[in-house]
Amino acid sequence: MAVLTQTHRNPAHTLAEYPGYFPVSSAHLYTVLHQVENPVARVLLVGPFAPVRHTSYRTWVQWARHLAANGIEVLRYDYRGVGESTGAFEEMTLESWIDDVRCLAEWLRKLERKAPLLLHGLELGGLLAARAFHEGEADALMLWSTPTDANQVLRSALKHWIGPQQLSKREGERRPPSHYFRLLDQGKNVEVEGYEWSAELWRQSLTFALPAPMVPPNDPAVSYKRPVHMVALGKNAAPLVYGAVPGYEENKDFSWLFKPNCQWISSNLSVPLEAVHD
Amino acid sequence: MISSTLETRELVTLDGGGVLLHGTYHKAAGKAANGAAGSTKNIGVLFLNALSTPRSLIGESGVYWATSFAARGYPSFRFDLPGLGDSYGEIPNDLVKFADEGGWGTIASSKVKELVHSRGLPGVVMFGHCSGATTAIYAASRSRECKGLILMDPYFNLPRSLTPSLRPGLVLWVRSSKTGALMRAGYDRIRELREALRKEKLPANANLNLLARVKQVVANGVPILIFRAPKPPAVGGSVLRAGDFDYFDYIVSLAERSNQFTIQEIDDTDHSFSNRAGRLAVRQHSEAWLEQYFPEANSGGVIQ
Repeated sequence: MAVLTQTHRNPAHTLAEYPGYFPVSSAHLYTVLHQVENPVARVLLVGPFAPVRHTSYRTWVQWARHLAANGIEVLRYDYRGVGESTGAFEEMTLESWIDDVRCLAEWLRKLERKAPLLLHGLELGGLLAARAFHEGEADALMLWSTPTDANQVLRSALKHWIGPQQLSKREGERRPPSHYFRLLDQGKNVEVEGYEWSAELWRQSLTFALPAPMVPPNDPAVSYKRPVHMVALGKNAAPLVYGAVPGYEENKDFSWLFKPNCQWISSNLSVPLEAVHD
Repeated sequence: MISSTLETRELVTLDGGGVLLHGTYHKAAGKAANGAAGSTKNIGVLFLNALSTPRSLIGESGVYWATSFAARGYPSFRFDLPGLGDSYGEIPNDLVKFADEGGWGTIASSKVKELVHSRGLPGVVMFGHCSGATTAIYAASRSRECKGLILMDPYFNLPRSLTPSLRPGLVLWVRSSKTGALMRAGYDRIRELREALRKEKLPANANLNLLARVKQVVANGVPILIFRAPKPPAVGGSVLRAGDFDYFDYIVSLAERSNQFTIQEIDDTDHSFSNRAGRLAVRQHSEAWLEQYFPEANSGGVIQ
């Protein structure tokens, strides 16, 4: 059982949020528990890959607060080696990140007040959540904007980083994305937006795929006999996905996304949606 | 099992005035601590958000710098301002305008006061990147507790009037594509010519309110360290073109004493300073500057 040392309440809505450090192998994960008194369900939010974290963070927090306001307890966290979590990013692999999902899911399942557990992943987080769900870690799964393999996430991140980088370099120093892909293929580390990608992370990404029952045209709900909801997000979902203009889109109204997905959780985990706050 | 404290870090809040800010405290190493809980003899370093970036900053560079400064004896704090990161609060649709007008200045200065008093610090150095630098200047201008500023790529102009009338998608394209860069460069040249003909001291889109705050901070004798990233070659490089107004020359001319401003150009990095070269250079120059102006024995005041 967790030792919650501090209570931080939102003065406006009296929803308790508990930031803390969760110990895992050789590091501590930064976690925030959005606690609900009698939760109708619990959700472990598995966020996007590191470079999207800083643009999507506010919206991701808003989503956690929306769920908590509707009686669903939420645990969100930073990947090992990312954000407020400790650990060296360059030493991280997809295997270490999925271990973290397993540890946190297990902790949530062991909490005293029982409630069904849903894993919700965004982008790379979707792949991690899907793998853990496939192994039987949760009662339901929700995926937003999750590609079929992790290599697509890394390629996409590198391509989005390279555009502005080209502007900061002189003509002869500019390199296309294929240059960096080749370096990674050759076993060299590459620095992208302040993160040093290891060749091992790249190598693992090539085979880290969505479990086969979740790949269309398969129906995962039939295979797993547990609820699975997969949502493709378009550019209108920026800054949750790439394409936002910093400074102008952080305050977007996401009720079109939050309300139906919160409703899906509520109805598919067979619990009444008790709107604590609007 | 879950704890708010690690050996070198602690999750903390500032909740004075009914405004709850979440943050991370990087404990000062060894000799700086005087034994009292959370209290040190050394000046603190307070990091502010850059626009909507969470308190870790891009590529976790904020974590890197705060960890380094704390290891050198300077307790470091990273807080999310209201509406950003983990802190509650509403934010406006146009964050750039909000920051340019000093939207977070008042709350930042009151939180500096709260931090200094609650932690028993002799004062703080505020560390701001881009729009975070703008907030730091506004806050410092009304804070007796702010003893120094570290500003990364600060800007002193308001957005050009052309930008708000464009669709966000078009703005992004203009900012990130090669064709857009050429268009911007062309637009810059027309603007520069116009400014040169006007022969006015400050450009029409200068942020006069912010510059007035800079004057105030300078008059208070606060030392200021500024980092500048190289300007992208696609928009003309670092060399000023005819008609370009040099805000840095201008603010340095306001100095009360010759060593009040330290300006460092960092090569091999970009605006975020988050790559290896940028992080290291910022860290080394900042540590040298902190040790020069706020040595441990006299960290409460500025060495003049």
